[in-house]
Amino acid sequence: MSVLVGTVDAQGMPSCCRAIAITSTDDLRTVAVYLPISTSQRVIQDIATTHRLAVAATHIVEHLSIQLKGTADSARLARPDEASLVENRQAAFGDIIHSLGVPRRLTRRIACWPAFVVDMRVDEMFEQTPGPKAGTRIT
Amino acid sequence: MSGAVNLASISRCFHGLIPSIIATADGRGVPNVTYISQVYCVDDRHVALSCQFFNKTRRNLDENPVACVEVIDPLTLQAYRLRLKFLRSEKSGPLFDTMALRIDAIASHTGMKGVFRLLAADVFAVQSIELVQGFLTEPPDDVQSQMSLDGFRTELRGLQLVSERINQATDLESLLDHALRAVEDYFNFAHTSVLLADETGRRLVTLASRGYGESGIGAEVTVGEGLIGTVARERRLLRLTSLEADLRYGRAIRRETASGRRDLDAEIPLPGLPDAQSLLAIPLVVGERLIGVFMAEDRDPMRFGEWHEAYLEIIANQIALGIDRMLDRQDEATEPASVPKRPTASPAPAGVCANAARCRRFIYYRSDDAIFVDDQYLIRNIPARILWKVLGESQRTGRTDFSNREMRLDASLGLPAVKDNLESRLILLRHRLREKCPDLQLVSTARGRFALRAEGAIELVER
Repeated sequence: MSVLVGTVDAQGMPSCCRAIAITSTDDLRTVAVYLPISTSQRVIQDIATTHRLAVAATHIVEHLSIQLKGTADSARLARPDEASLVENRQAAFGDIIHSLGVPRRLTRRIACWPAFVVDMRVDEMFEQTPGPKAGTRIT
Repeated sequence: MSGAVNLASISRCFHGLIPSIIATADGRGVPNVTYISQVYCVDDRHVALSCQFFNKTRRNLDENPVACVEVIDPLTLQAYRLRLKFLRSEKSGPLFDTMALRIDAIASHTGMKGVFRLLAADVFAVQSIELVQGFLTEPPDDVQSQMSLDGFRTELRGLQLVSERINQATDLESLLDHALRAVEDYFNFAHTSVLLADETGRRLVTLASRGYGESGIGAEVTVGEGLIGTVARERRLLRLTSLEADLRYGRAIRRETASGRRDLDAEIPLPGLPDAQSLLAIPLVVGERLIGVFMAEDRDPMRFGEWHEAYLEIIANQIALGIDRMLDRQDEATEPASVPKRPTASPAPAGVCANAARCRRFIYYRSDDAIFVDDQYLIRNIPARILWKVLGESQRTGRTDFSNREMRLDASLGLPAVKDNLESRLILLRHRLREKCPDLQLVSTARGRFALRAEGAIELVER
């Protein structure tokens, strides 16, 4: 699973970064998105300003994809006990990228920790698999 | 644009091997993020994104014409972020045609021709490029720039030698053989082939290949269908450096589109390597006329760079001119050549196979215009008629030497009056014989002349 995050600042300028993991304990009414601190400063700044974010979760081999849009309730540093989750998801992502031809020695270099966690209230969910149904709302 | 990072220095990011991402926002400040299938570097200040569906990204750009795109270098995994300002959508013209070719080729290959297509090339001004600090935990590998000066010199020497070999070729078969051998010798392109257009211009036939064995010779491609057919139709070079990723993307769209539809075409098999990761297909054109297509494949997704593209286009032009020269040539030897004295066995009278220890039975099926040898399909259409003429003549008169000229003068063979592709038909026939019936051969003996060599008895049956 690949996770992307899009945000916007107060002037309407968008930003994006790659996230590491997404979890939900309430059937996607809320989600927790894990972002590497080293690459997500601007996204976190935007979230602090506008509270709005979009999260795309994609199975990159099959291109199956959905997009969640909503509001950030909080952003915090990931706790030490969440490190294994982050590292496991990163390793799984590395496996997928490896299957596409990218050597593991490279994927292991992608920063994932320490991480921010953004807790997001999901307002809308959209189909995003490429094709004619992309952009339709999922109820 | 900022600092030392410019579009040229991150050109590998635009090969499409690792999908890029784009964030936009609508007029109300709601962000959107998604993968994009193609970021195309237009010049040192502009990029273009492909628009296949009128989706949320496209609508957002109409309301708020700015975007953030993140791209990744596939060799180092270093990420870069581009701040973009949307300028315009181009729905025709050179940029559109270039971007559309890749999508059309993938769409045709995956059976989605006309369904999955480029709507517009969206052009953006690049306002800034930022190296994403901290994306990697250690500095990226120091990947050398694509080619050293020595490399360029080597390739220029290679060009000189390829050019020489092409010019010295005495017939079409040796020209194609020399050209592909030289491309392998000097550039290590191990999987290459040349397909020639038939006289109708609607079909391409593989006449030479390296790295596939003999089985690829004679394989046909319909102009306009699949990756190679699209290159032939558009007469434009196609370089795919993320073939598997591109095909997966096409298949995903097909899967989404196919629900409830039965009118989609079947996916077309890849032309050569089943696990090719990169492909370079160059149309062979003289003036406006399509001569054929040169194709190279590789299992390395980064095998073909922009340098190869420019370089092989020069070689392809040489090959095209050489082929055209061979196909056009009428100056055959009028006198029989001094044929090397080798024992040859003439075809035997019909019915000999019942008594001969070593015998080949050729059956010509008139209704199908096809020849089978020992119940195995051999060849059809004009090459079949040529072979049947040669075998029949040899059986009736004992003659084993023939000329291209007499083939051209025989109206029953159905060769077109101009651009008859006789040489290419003979090449195809020779390859098929080598593959299916190696004890019968048509050997080139001089310019425009060939001889029938048979080791064993032959029975001819017409049905």
